[in-house]
Amino acid sequence: MAGETAADFAPILYMLGFGLVASVPALILSRLVSPRRRYNPVKFLPMECGQMPTGEGRSHFMMQYYAYILMFVVFDVMSIFLYAWGTALFSIPKAATLPIIGFLGIMFAAMGYALFLAGRKGIW
Amino acid sequence: MATYTKNFRFGEFVGSLIWLILWILIIIALVGLPLIFIVLFYVPLPPVNGQVLTPYLFLTMTVDPSRTLPIIKYMIHTDLFRITTFPGFTYAALIAAVTIFIERKFLAKMQLRVGPLYAGKIEGILQLIADGLKLIAKEIIVPSGADKPLFWAAPIAFVAAAAAVVALIPAAPTWVAANVDVGLLAVFAILGFFPLIALLFSWASNSKYPFIGGLRALHQMIAFEIPFILSALSVVILSGTLNLTGIVNSQITSYWFIFFAPISAFVFYISSLAELERIPFDLPEAESEIVAGWLTETSGMIYGLLQLGSYVKTYALAALFVILFLGGWAGPAVMPVELIPGYTGVQIYNHTTADAILWFTLKVFGVIMLMLLPRGISPRIRIDILLHTGWYKLIVLAFINIFVALALIYGGILGPGGLLVR
Repeated sequence: MAGETAADFAPILYMLGFGLVASVPALILSRLVSPRRRYNPVKFLPMECGQMPTGEGRSHFMMQYYAYILMFVVFDVMSIFLYAWGTALFSIPKAATLPIIGFLGIMFAAMGYALFLAGRKGIW
Repeated sequence: MATYTKNFRFGEFVGSLIWLILWILIIIALVGLPLIFIVLFYVPLPPVNGQVLTPYLFLTMTVDPSRTLPIIKYMIHTDLFRITTFPGFTYAALIAAVTIFIERKFLAKMQLRVGPLYAGKIEGILQLIADGLKLIAKEIIVPSGADKPLFWAAPIAFVAAAAAVVALIPAAPTWVAANVDVGLLAVFAILGFFPLIALLFSWASNSKYPFIGGLRALHQMIAFEIPFILSALSVVILSGTLNLTGIVNSQITSYWFIFFAPISAFVFYISSLAELERIPFDLPEAESEIVAGWLTETSGMIYGLLQLGSYVKTYALAALFVILFLGGWAGPAVMPVELIPGYTGVQIYNHTTADAILWFTLKVFGVIMLMLLPRGISPRIRIDILLHTGWYKLIVLAFINIFVALALIYGGILGPGGLLVR
């Protein structure tokens, strides 16, 4: 397999730049042709279904399902790590699959235990 | 309510138009033409008919059709064309526009309505143009206390990130903007930005409903990112490469991977619906619960850009499904070998590429229709059921198919020298 350089990824950056080039004029054009009436301050209040907004917009909010977030941090890395193995599968000996199966077993046991605990204790 | 100005005189109106045209001509002559020459001077132009092009020759050749074709052929094969037009932005935006129209008519038919009808003579076909004009002409209201730079930057970043995903999608053999060895991982990496942009935008809006919607977008990513990544892993095991063109080529030499990995295809479809925030997974913008979720404070063109970005993303994920499971551009040859019989000049038309584009586009629209379908038939699911589905069911399903793929490889059915490899 041929190696690749950072320059191979340049079209992604160009495309990102083209996205900017295509969307910024739309905003500028909209700003030029659209009306701007600023005499009614109520218009700029945050949306609260027609009521006067109460309290802070950016308040403390309970991040629910905390246990899942902790598990996500571990298993997202695991799933990306499996790609390194999946790509090299044709070029490694068959015996090398056994350690991966063992690794998956350990991870699955841990995940099952975490989900079991989260379910039993009612952790959000 | 349209009103004329007080002292409207037709002669003055025509006079002002003439002045406008004059000013435009002066600006083109003094700024536009020198700018074109400066750009042409720095763009490396091809040797055509044995002579190296200069900007002057280029401008003269654009008048003569027989000398224009080589230039067009050269331009089609540059990176610029790939990024701006064919597998890139314009193609994706066109498919996004058609998707929006199809979605509205299709949903309307499912719900026994007629859908857009008045704009344009035939079935409201100009509805999208009317909507675009409306969105451009509407006032953009930035709520008080909003984080203004972030508020303006988030929609632009959304469109740009969606375009960056499109850069990695091959639409025909060798027709891809960025042909990288780790294409699939790069797609996942860029898709990870979207919930963050949603969260940033919702934080910048300084309002309660967007904030709840942004946090829900984050939860949705946590529930569905892992099944999404794992469902593509069985395809990587079967093909042995992360390059998207390579994945398609390995399906052309054997069979479509949806026959070997149907469970993975199902998991990928479900989790791509969640990535796209489409019904039944539209919790971040649940309009019957939290007004419009993280889009509550958007108005005018900001909303338009976010919609454009999300439909471009829809195209990208449908194309990814086609590439991973439905054999990409593989299909029987139906296009004519010669577009103009007996023509022996510079050939731009290539029938294998035309076949590839035709089949790829047809398959993408099929998958997009499949993605639009749940919106007509399914209610929104609850957030705890969402997390439960992602963590307890989809991950297990994805792993079942990974072991099936391993069995296929080690059983000698697929992989190098396998039974079903042609």
